[in-house]
Amino acid sequence: MVHVYNCHPFKSQQIVQVEQEPGLVCCGGGALFVVATGGCKVEVYNLEKEGCPLFCRFATMGTVKSIQHSKIGDYLVTIEEKNNATYLRAYTNWRYQAEEKGRVGVRLLGHLLGGASVWGGVQMEIIEIPMSERPIAVSCCPVTGDLLVGCEKTVVLFTLSRQNQQNLQNQSQQSVQNSLPNSQQSCNPSQGPTSVSHPNLSILDFERSVILHLPKMSLKQVALCGGYVAVNAELEVLVLKLEAASDPAAAEEPLETSKSAAEPPQDQDDFLLIPRHQELLESKAKDCDILVTMEKTGLEDQAQYQFSYILFRRFSPEFFQGCRVEEMQIHSLQLYPLFTSNSLEDPTCVFCFFSLPTAGYLYSLKGGVELLSAYQYPEKVLQAVMSDHLLHVITKNALQCFTVRCSAVAARMEDPYIDTTMKACPPSTLEVCALRIQLFIGLRSVCVYNQRVILLSAADTETQQEPERRCLKLKENSVLTGIFLAVGIDPATTPALENLLSRPFLSRKWTISSPKETSTVGHGWNLYVVDTVHPFTLYQEMVEYSCRYVQTTPQSHSLRHLLSEAHLLLRACLLQTPEQKQSGQGDPAVSSKPGSNGAVDKNSATQANRQELEEALRQNSAQLGDCFSRASQKDCHLALPYYKMSGLTVAEVISRNRPPPEGPSSYGLGFLFYLKLHLLEETEQHLTQEEADEIIYIFSQSEPFLLVSVCASPCMINCSATRTLQILQRLEDTAGVSVPLTIIMAAMALRLGKQQDYTELMERHAEMQLVYGFIEEPRLLLHGGGGGGGGGGGGQHSQVHPTSLARQLANTQPGLLVAAMVALHENCKVQLEQADFVFKELGCENTLLVDFWEAMLMASSQDAVIQELLFRVASVYIDRLTNSINGSGAPKYKSLKGADDLITSCSHYGALYPWLTVLNPTHSTTSEHQEALHKLQSLLCGPSLSVGSIVPLLERLSGETLWGFSLHLLCATRRGQYESSIEQLLDRCPQAIIAYANHQLQDKYMTLWWQKLLPELCKRTRAAADNGILLGALKETLVVVAMETSPAEFLELIPDDGTASYFLPHLLTCSQRHLMA
Amino acid sequence: MTTKTSLLKVILLGDGGVGKSSIMNRYVTNKFDAHLFHTIGVEFLNKDLEVDSRQVTLQIWDTAGQERFRSLRTPFYRGSDCCLLTFSVDDHQSFLNLGNWKKEFIYYADVKEPEKFPFVVLGNKVDVTERQVSTEEARQWCQENGDYPYYETSAKDATNVAVAFEEAVRRVLAAEERTVHLIPTDTVKLHRKPRSAAACC
Repeated sequence: MVHVYNCHPFKSQQIVQVEQEPGLVCCGGGALFVVATGGCKVEVYNLEKEGCPLFCRFATMGTVKSIQHSKIGDYLVTIEEKNNATYLRAYTNWRYQAEEKGRVGVRLLGHLLGGASVWGGVQMEIIEIPMSERPIAVSCCPVTGDLLVGCEKTVVLFTLSRQNQQNLQNQSQQSVQNSLPNSQQSCNPSQGPTSVSHPNLSILDFERSVILHLPKMSLKQVALCGGYVAVNAELEVLVLKLEAASDPAAAEEPLETSKSAAEPPQDQDDFLLIPRHQELLESKAKDCDILVTMEKTGLEDQAQYQFSYILFRRFSPEFFQGCRVEEMQIHSLQLYPLFTSNSLEDPTCVFCFFSLPTAGYLYSLKGGVELLSAYQYPEKVLQAVMSDHLLHVITKNALQCFTVRCSAVAARMEDPYIDTTMKACPPSTLEVCALRIQLFIGLRSVCVYNQRVILLSAADTETQQEPERRCLKLKENSVLTGIFLAVGIDPATTPALENLLSRPFLSRKWTISSPKETSTVGHGWNLYVVDTVHPFTLYQEMVEYSCRYVQTTPQSHSLRHLLSEAHLLLRACLLQTPEQKQSGQGDPAVSSKPGSNGAVDKNSATQANRQELEEALRQNSAQLGDCFSRASQKDCHLALPYYKMSGLTVAEVISRNRPPPEGPSSYGLGFLFYLKLHLLEETEQHLTQEEADEIIYIFSQSEPFLLVSVCASPCMINCSATRTLQILQRLEDTAGVSVPLTIIMAAMALRLGKQQDYTELMERHAEMQLVYGFIEEPRLLLHGGGGGGGGGGGGQHSQVHPTSLARQLANTQPGLLVAAMVALHENCKVQLEQADFVFKELGCENTLLVDFWEAMLMASSQDAVIQELLFRVASVYIDRLTNSINGSGAPKYKSLKGADDLITSCSHYGALYPWLTVLNPTHSTTSEHQEALHKLQSLLCGPSLSVGSIVPLLERLSGETLWGFSLHLLCATRRGQYESSIEQLLDRCPQAIIAYANHQLQDKYMTLWWQKLLPELCKRTRAAADNGILLGALKETLVVVAMETSPAEFLELIPDDGTASYFLPHLLTCSQRHLMA
Repeated sequence: MTTKTSLLKVILLGDGGVGKSSIMNRYVTNKFDAHLFHTIGVEFLNKDLEVDSRQVTLQIWDTAGQERFRSLRTPFYRGSDCCLLTFSVDDHQSFLNLGNWKKEFIYYADVKEPEKFPFVVLGNKVDVTERQVSTEEARQWCQENGDYPYYETSAKDATNVAVAFEEAVRRVLAAEERTVHLIPTDTVKLHRKPRSAAACC
């Protein structure tokens, strides 16, 4: 079934004043080219001027069988016949043939010498393109201007070359001189009366670059666009991609493979095979049985080509109904490029369209081959042609206009956010529809230029007319009646029908702009130029229609379809590049003639400026959002992106979705989805109390289990706590207790100032359970930071803020808060920096923050985080030590974890070295100071802290105090500076030396006992013989040395001036131990 | 019903400087420029006319006479319906070359039956006082080569130019009539149609 909306895409029509019956018609470059039936004359009409006046007229060299205009290069290409021979010709500079009497230059392809255009005059020139086979079809590339010629079994690609006049002049002069050195230079360019220099004029030529052989296909039509080559036979379409090969070897390859693949089907020649229906896309297309071989004809040093199969489609003759088999032929093959602002050179999309009498097919080729739409025609279609926004098809008696899906494809190419929660666009496979069926009589051909549709109609000769009428009458009466009614004709006027049918039908919106209409009655043919309305106007009409649907059947599929159609029209307008708009207003070449600016198109183009379009897109998105908000499960998620694109506030969306007062208070799935996602997305936008209360009401009615998450959303901060608490209470009564529900109820109680209720609620669960509750719903503690929504905005480190519940916890249950934060971090619900920020904002100086860091060190297993945290806590401890010395800013605080807690429960804090106890006097300074010192020492004793990183910080601490000295000594020791440490320790605190040596000088440092410590002690005792501490230390050292060395070594170590009796016992011990060993 | 016009291709051949372009210009635009340039390659002009109450579009092909442009000129001989061999009465060499031109044409135009192909011979520049080729000499050549019509023309003062072209058209149409009777093929039907068309329009 084809949906017909009966819109008014056609605005007005004009009748082109053609004197002779047109045979062939084509258009391009702002011009309409009309070839008289069987004649050899082309009349050119200006399509951009009101009334389409005659622009110029020129003769062709033979009877034109086919004509095409190329936008690039502004040339015409014809297939002509003369005396039973077929010729292929290109007509250039045709615009200069304003007076028919101008001389026309003729040259062969590749022979650039000669012709007035070379010498500076502007003259129409015909390029004769010799072909070894009879040309059947031609196509000009809308991207490059290259020419593709289809013969019966081959396709030849001619690349367009343009030569600057100056170059060419030099070149051709040279070539004349070179080839004929003796001949006189008889034609001096500077003498010519027409040799006005046209520096901008370039001279066109073609180079035969590639021949594709398709021996198994009998070609009917060809198409070329940006490297894509499409060909069709009666019931087959093949699309190839032709590319310049970087590697010459690669270019040869496909030729080989396709040759070998071609062998098997030979057997089939004996049978009459009815081909199967086939559709092969992309790489599969090469499995089709159409053999293609490539023959390169360009010069050696030029680009090599390689080709790949893109699309193959074959129709089986019995596939169709209602049409005779012999009528079943593919027609209207087209490759259609779509340019957008992103790609002015290279088309964003390339589409392939072809048609059978009963159905048309539109494929998208770039970025994955796919069938976009299949157009089921209501009656037999003769020809179809695509334009920017629409597909126009003609049947014998009507011009029909269908929607296309090109903009849906292009919009997705342009904007990667489409099909996310941010943006949406109707799918490219959206069902197409007919916008209008406009009656005409005896339509023969159709072509399109910008927003104008050119129709050729010709009534058949008397003898042929009769069966046609009978045929019309035989048609189902209801169909015809419907059609006539659709255009406002009462079928009761049947006797006058013939009379009516001989004239074009005008709907109420049509205006007749041709004053000479009566004069056209005389002959049986007419050339119409039908103006289509600007797509924006069409959009507006669709919106008008949609309003009617909204009032009657808002749930209907048709409303959504209509709005989607309207959306795609807007997309198409928005995608159109400024350049394209300009060319819509007037082709540069035609406009350069004075006063030929296209007045018609200009109006419509300026009609809708970009802002207007964008506003319309917002409105349309809002309407589509409404549609999807009421939609069923399948599509309801689309409400979100459409509402986002509409720019509506939540309040506006809510009011659009409020159920009617008399109806049941149920909400659409799409609307709830939108609300959910919106509340998850952590916008800064706070809803008013009414709005927030309404949302809570909506969810309590529709999805009560989401209430916690809804209430935790920062947008909801203004909701009425009393009402919400009641609702939550009811939920708890029905659904049972859950930790997050208790917490959110506590938070509400807190907002109401009911401290007692709050405490009771919080005490219902163990701290650990509360922590799990916070993991489940982090927004109970934190707002911001893109919590859970999949929003595309906001970086990873977006700002988060503590909720008032978090503030309360900081004051009353800091341990819980810290534990919760650590849990959130470890569950990736919050980043370290975000947590830091939260604690800073909570404003408890930095104690809680440090507690958090310490707790993190205990819990975290992420190495990078640990190193960072170790450094941070170390520097905090150093700060605290410095502050306590200065005595000024020493804050009163109590850490959650003391040094001993950390040492026992955190692997990064090591047990204090025994010698430190000698250095740490118990009575000194405050407990805070003590705590900080112990923590720092413990870190330095631990395995994880990298000592080097905090050395610069330690320099701030003086080594004058014993505790300060202990830290420096710890550092030096950790860095392996034992010898200097021994010296310092002997200087400052010799009573600690043996404890130090016992702990530190072990294993490979054992030698330091006798290499460093013993000589040092001997030296010092010699200076102060009465120092008991040093003597004691010396004695202890000797005991150790005697244990570790051999008697000989020991003897060596004894100082020369030493008292033998002092050392003798040790030597004895040493010897005895040695003997025993 | 179609209104069809016959398109006749008439090609002007002859030595460089005998006045081919001038003859064409005189006939189509009725102007004469004494300082016209040498033609390079091939150019053509169209002229509609009615001969014996029949609408004809005459496509007159002007070619470059100089030897060095031979390669640019010869590909376009094919499909000609009539050939105007032109010489200048004040240049005997150009007259002597007529035979070569005829040969070149028949060769490149791929004429099936050269003896039946309509040639017309034009002796141009009769306004010049010092003639090198006499009328008798020219007529004799025409007589001997296939009984070609001969016209002495002057593009400068318009003598005989239109008459010569009209004769060319007549020759072509006459040749077609002959084929019509001889071989009734599709071609014949095509050419027959326009006559009735012309009659009813």
